[in-house]
Amino acid sequence: MKIELFYTPGCEKCVEARDGLRATAEAVIPGVIWRELNALNELDYAVELGVVTLPAIAINGELVFSSLPTSRQLRRELTKRKAA
Amino acid sequence: MPLTIGKIASLARVSADTLRYYERERLIVPAAKSAGGYRLYERDALRRIWFIKQAQQCGFNLSEIRSLLALRGNNAACCRDVRRAALEKKLQLEAKVKAMKAMSNALTHLIKQCSADDRPTDDCPILAAFERTNGVKRRRR
Repeated sequence: MKIELFYTPGCEKCVEARDGLRATAEAVIPGVIWRELNALNELDYAVELGVVTLPAIAINGELVFSSLPTSRQLRRELTKRKAA
Repeated sequence: MPLTIGKIASLARVSADTLRYYERERLIVPAAKSAGGYRLYERDALRRIWFIKQAQQCGFNLSEIRSLLALRGNNAACCRDVRRAALEKKLQLEAKVKAMKAMSNALTHLIKQCSADDRPTDDCPILAAFERTNGVKRRRR
């Protein structure tokens, strides 16, 4: 599974939440691929996924969170996908 | 010296109605009213009007511009907050460009199908394509 966090440089909210979300993802899906993408450098890809607000999170190339989720929300989403 | 609505509208190259609209949208307020009830503006209001116009040209709507103006006046805000708003606007614009390109490509495809001859509109492939629903051609009455 691949998780991509789109962020804007200097976003303190992203920095604060990033480590916790990443730890949650790795706990639920061992070996998960975690990428952090500067939306400005990956503009075309962000548009392709439908990202229009930042930060945003895509899972397996699908925009799932258009704002930062809580660890609990991310865990629920990953658990659902793992079971599917 | 305070400026009347007509004078400031002329300097900013907008209409007086536009300024009244900005006022209703809480983007600009007159500094005072004359004894006769006419709106009077400080020269600084010109900068605010130009700000609004420039931001509109970059795709921001009036509600978003209100937020940008609030950021400008907020000592706790900094450039990265504005940068984020600009980046999100760019993402929205690029998404619209992408959607419009898709529409344009669809039209290119339809135009190629039409030989533009004197056939009746009943046989027009472009109209027929618009009538198709989920690939099923509707029966003509």
